[in-house]
Amino acid sequence: MLEVSHLRKVYGSEETGNVAVGDLSFVVGEKEFVCILGSSGCGKTTMLRCLSGLAPATSGQILVEGNPVDGPPEDLAYVFQDYSRSLLPWMTVERNVSFPLRYKGMSKQEAKSATADALDAVGLGDRTKAFPWQLSGGMQQRVAIARALAYRPRVLLMDEPFASVDAQTRSDLEDLLLGIWERYAVTILFVTHDIDEAVYLADRVLVLKAPATVTTVAEVDLPRPRDQITTKALPEFARLRSELLSALRH
Amino acid sequence: MRVAEKVTTAPSPQPGTGPVAGRSREGSLRRRALDWVPRLLGIAAILVVLEVCSRTGVLPRESFPPVSEIYGSLLGLVGDPGLWVEIGRTMRGWAVGLLLAAVLAVPLGMLLGASRRAFQMSRLVIEFLRPVPSVALIPLAVLVFGVGQDMKVFLVAFACFWPILFQSIYGVQDVDPVARDTARSYGLPPLARFARIILPSAAPYIATGLRISSAIALILALTAELVVGAPGLGRAIVVSQVSGSITQMYALILATGLLGWLLNTVFIAVERRLLRWHPSHREVAL
Repeated sequence: MLEVSHLRKVYGSEETGNVAVGDLSFVVGEKEFVCILGSSGCGKTTMLRCLSGLAPATSGQILVEGNPVDGPPEDLAYVFQDYSRSLLPWMTVERNVSFPLRYKGMSKQEAKSATADALDAVGLGDRTKAFPWQLSGGMQQRVAIARALAYRPRVLLMDEPFASVDAQTRSDLEDLLLGIWERYAVTILFVTHDIDEAVYLADRVLVLKAPATVTTVAEVDLPRPRDQITTKALPEFARLRSELLSALRH
Repeated sequence: MRVAEKVTTAPSPQPGTGPVAGRSREGSLRRRALDWVPRLLGIAAILVVLEVCSRTGVLPRESFPPVSEIYGSLLGLVGDPGLWVEIGRTMRGWAVGLLLAAVLAVPLGMLLGASRRAFQMSRLVIEFLRPVPSVALIPLAVLVFGVGQDMKVFLVAFACFWPILFQSIYGVQDVDPVARDTARSYGLPPLARFARIILPSAAPYIATGLRISSAIALILALTAELVVGAPGLGRAIVVSQVSGSITQMYALILATGLLGWLLNTVFIAVERRLLRWHPSHREVAL
């Protein structure tokens, strides 16, 4: 699980600098799916950089599975928004998924089976020898997700992962992700600016306002397994959507 | 930040070899073959004009022998081991100098590209040394190294050092920050990040630096031979000229041209193979 308490991040000095994250506290429980909803510029990306250990926090504490974050944690994997730049063009799909595993201490055999499992889970078991640039955008993001899964994280951070694919691919990827979440039993923190996406995926939605402070928390009690058509037709879905929309506006 | 104009990473696009979506390989091969027809016609036209000018006396024949005779002389030289000895001497200067430059410039360039402070500290020194034309160092080189192979290697290495250095700096500075972050977020230690991310990212830049330097190396090797008289093709050209074998002189000049063309072709072919993932070498587009 993931615990954030009084996280603050200032670029530059405390007096004159740019406050990207003000005072952020939240908890994502074991195997919970939490979406963070915020418009662009609200500090989502800075928050994720702190959570993933890529940038040091100015103050406050982050715990991943009980361990304080002071560098990239072993139990956490980060899926970047920009999949085409996050995948390495000189490696095949298979290599892109497997190259981090050795550094986590997996044996060659373990790495191989983790890679094959993860690529199967995202439906790309037959494209292992392709290069990422030979695949469509949706497939590339699936490779990036497979890389995160093969790393066997307890917590998965996702930064607007479906923001740059078309609507049809997007809903397919959302369903794929829900399936993976069940199968791999991971804790997911998913950042998005799309209200429908947040409500459809999450157990709980947090609304973030600049400088990255939680202003609203919405519990999503929609039944699972969810379905793109029937779930989105439920009155509860519409209620949550308008609640979150007004929360975003005010 | 950047101290000099950036040299393109990609070799100039060759018509017919770019990404041709939905076309078969044979189709693109046939297009490539067709592209050669106008090129060959152009070359043939120039050769015929030169031949005619020389034969009719439009160009003075003693300074401009007919092309057919030049080619005949070159064919004769190809069977003569003497030519290959000279080519070997030139190529040794080329190879040792280029290798020396690469061994020094690639690590240094990568260091300067990675460290802002090192880059700023060395910037003025580099800006001062880089514009010095290598040929201006010939007297110094002769003084220190004599008139033999060492002098040639020094000149080649000095001239080749700069393009490789700058391409290495740019290559490291141009590593995608998202790729860096990805490697860091997956816990790759610094050495692994260097080998897996930085080196492959910089490779296309370094390859371009090497290819440019290969041409420069040939020029400098020949200059050392022509001007100072170090043994090699360059000196053979001077000897032919002095002894009045003008046709042979042209044949040797032609040989140097072919050598330069061959080296460039080899470099491009190797780049294509090793860097087939790079956007400038990809054969398929979606």
